[in-house]
Amino acid sequence: MAGAIEVSPAGLFLENMLFALAVAGYLAATAGYLAYLFGKKSLGSYASRLLHLAFFLHSAFLAARTVNVRRVPFVGHFEFGNLFIWACVLVYLWTERRQKEKYYAVGAFLAPLVVLYIGYLTVVPKIFTKVTISRAHTLLPPVLQSNWLKVHVSASVLGYAGFTLAFAVALMWLLKARLQEKSAFARALPEFAVLEEYMYRASVFGFLFQTVMIITGAIWADTSWGRFWGWDPKEMWSLITWFVFAVYLHARFTRGWSGLRTVALVVAGWFAMLFTWVGVAWLLSGIHSFG
Amino acid sequence: MARDFKRRQEAGGSLRRVLRFLSSMQLGIGLLLLLAAISIFASLQEQEKAVADIYRSFWFIGIMAFAALNLLLCSLRRVKPLARLALQPQKVQTVEAIKKMPFYRAVKLTPADGGGGGAEKASAALRALGYHVSVAESPEGKKIFGEKGRSGYFGSFLTHFGLLVILLGALVGSLTGFEYTGGGIAGDSFQVPGGNFTVRIDGVRMVQEPDPTVRPRVYSDVVVTRGGSQVAAGTVAINEPLRFQGNTIYHKTFRYVSEIVIKNPATGEETTKQVSEQDLLAVGSEGSYIHFLKFFPNFSMTEQGMPYSINWLPEKPVLAGILYNSAGQGERPVLLQLDKPQVIAVAAGEIELTLKDFQDAVVYTVTRNLGRPLLLAGALVLVFGLYLCFAVSPRRLYAACERDGDVIHLGGSSYRGRIGLEEDLARVAKELAQQEVEA
Repeated sequence: MAGAIEVSPAGLFLENMLFALAVAGYLAATAGYLAYLFGKKSLGSYASRLLHLAFFLHSAFLAARTVNVRRVPFVGHFEFGNLFIWACVLVYLWTERRQKEKYYAVGAFLAPLVVLYIGYLTVVPKIFTKVTISRAHTLLPPVLQSNWLKVHVSASVLGYAGFTLAFAVALMWLLKARLQEKSAFARALPEFAVLEEYMYRASVFGFLFQTVMIITGAIWADTSWGRFWGWDPKEMWSLITWFVFAVYLHARFTRGWSGLRTVALVVAGWFAMLFTWVGVAWLLSGIHSFG
Repeated sequence: MARDFKRRQEAGGSLRRVLRFLSSMQLGIGLLLLLAAISIFASLQEQEKAVADIYRSFWFIGIMAFAALNLLLCSLRRVKPLARLALQPQKVQTVEAIKKMPFYRAVKLTPADGGGGGAEKASAALRALGYHVSVAESPEGKKIFGEKGRSGYFGSFLTHFGLLVILLGALVGSLTGFEYTGGGIAGDSFQVPGGNFTVRIDGVRMVQEPDPTVRPRVYSDVVVTRGGSQVAAGTVAINEPLRFQGNTIYHKTFRYVSEIVIKNPATGEETTKQVSEQDLLAVGSEGSYIHFLKFFPNFSMTEQGMPYSINWLPEKPVLAGILYNSAGQGERPVLLQLDKPQVIAVAAGEIELTLKDFQDAVVYTVTRNLGRPLLLAGALVLVFGLYLCFAVSPRRLYAACERDGDVIHLGGSSYRGRIGLEEDLARVAKELAQQEVEA
C-alpha cells in the first residue's frame, strides 16, 4: 500500500487495546444511561463516570494512533470517524458539566448513537464487503500536507458533534411526545421547553462549526485546486446540511417555530449530515475520496 | 383626480406588497429548501453533468440570484428597526412596565438599603455582571438601566451581509475570471490567452517523500512576463500557488515527458520525438501507431502480469503503450526501457525505438479570480456575524426603586435566549435580597 507506515508490534497492540477498551467503555456507559432512563436513577452519575472513562481511553487511543501514524489522525474514514465520535462525547460531557441540573437522560440517547457510529466503523465493513474502512497506518499525500486540513477537519468533527447531540435531543422530544405525559417514562425526560433549548444550543454549536468547516474547506480548495467551490458531492451535501440547519434557526428565531416542526428539521439536518459522511463516501464519487 | 390618486395608492400598495413578499422570511426559507432539494437531486447525477445541466443553468443561477435579492431586501428592511432597537433603547421604564416584562422579580430591601441604597446596590451588581449602567431620577424614584451585548443585535445583519459579499465575490469572479490549463518541462513557455501573459518554466524539481511509495512533491520555478517585461516570479508546488495581480498559478499535477529515438534499421534514418502518457506516436508510413498509456518510474510486473511501479524512484523507468495497426486494431504491448532499443515489426518493415531520456513535466491551472478579496472578506464577516448572533446575547435589565419604598422591581428582556438573562436577574436579586417578594 502506498505510504504504508511500519508500526511496531507494541505500538499496534497498544493502539488496538485502547480502542477495544474505549469501545467497551462506551458500551458500558450506554448500558448505564439506559438503566438510568428505565428507572435506576442512582445509575446516572455512574454512567457519566463510565462515559468519562471511555472518553479518556478513546483520547489515549487517538494519542497512540497519532504516535503510530506520525501525524494527527485526521485522514480516512476510520480516523475521521473516531475523531468525530470523540468530539460527540467531548461536546456532550461539556454540556453535562455545564448544566446545573444533570440531564443524564440526554446521555441515554447520545451514547447509543456513539455506539452506532462505532458499529459503522467496525462491524458494518465485516458484513458489507463493499464498505471497506481501512485501519491502515499511512503517510499523508502532499495535497493533504496542509495546515488547513487541521482546521477544516477539526471544525467538521465539532460541527457533526453538535448536530449529533441536537439529533439525540430531537429523538428524546419525539419519544416524549409519543408517550404522552401519562407515561412515567415520558415524565422522567426533561420538559419540552428544556429539550428545545438544548436542541437549539447544540444546533447552533454545530452550525457555527459547519460554517467554519465549509469556509476553511473552500479556502483550502482555492489554494490546492485553484477554485473555492467545485460542486463536489461532499461540498454540496455539506451545504445541504447547512441549508437545513439555517432554515431551522431562522424558523425558530424569526418565525417563532417550535415543537414538531423544528424537531423534524433537526432530524432532517442530521440525516443530511449522516449522508455527507457515509452516503457520499459509498454512493457518490468525488474528490473527497480520502475522507 | 380622485381616481388618479386611488390608482396611485393602489399601485403603491401593490409595490409594497411585492416588496414585502420579496423581502419576506417565508420566501427566504422556501428558497433555501428549494436550493437544498435541487442540490440533493443534482448530487445524485454525474458531477460533470450536474455542473453543466444544473449548477450552471440559467434557472439555478436565477434561483440563487432570487435568494440573494431576498437576502438583500430582507436585510435592508430590517436594518432601520434593528438600529433603532439597538441604539435607541428606552432607558426609563415605569414600575408597571417593568412588571409586564418577560422576566420580572420584586425584591424586598433591608432597612439599610431602602431609600436609595438599593439603587446603588443594583447598579453595582449589574456593573459586576458586565452591564453598562445608567441611573435616572424620576418622580417615582430612581430608575436603573443596564445593558450588555449590544453588538449582538447586529449579528444577523452582518451574517446576511457576509453572505451577500460572498455571492458578490462569486459573481465578480465568474464575470472577470478565466481558467486555463498549461504546462511543460523546464525551458518551456506557454501563453495564457485570457491573462495576456506568458509563463516560462525555468526549472522543475521532484522531491521524494521519506517513503517513496507516496506521491512526490514537485516544485517548479516560473517566471511570468507580459510584453517582454517580468510581471512575477516564484516557485509553484501543490498547496503553494503563485499569486499576482488577481491571477494565480496552481500546480495541478505532474507527468513525465519521454524522449524517444525512432530509427529505421534499413536506412539508418533517425528522428527524435517527445511523448507523454496518452500521446499517439506514428511508426512507419502506412498508419501504424503506438498509444502510450503509462510511464512507470520503477517498473515491475505483478504475478498476474500487470505492470506497476514499485515506487516513485526513477530506478527502472519504462514507458508502456500498445501498438496499433493502420486499421486501429491493437497488435501488441510495447514496453520501452531506458537506453534499451526495441525493434518493432510493422507493415512497412522494422522500426527501432529507444527511450533515450525522460523529464518531469508540470501541469498548471492558471486562473484569474478578482472576486477573491470579496470572498475572503465576506467569509470573515459571515463568521463574525454568526459569532455575534449566537455567542453574544443582548440583554437589558431595568430596576426601579419606589420612592420611600422598600421594594425594588427588576425586569428584563433579551433579544434571543432566556437562560443568560434569567441567571443575571437571579444574581442581581440575590445581591439585593434579604427577602424576595412573590412576583
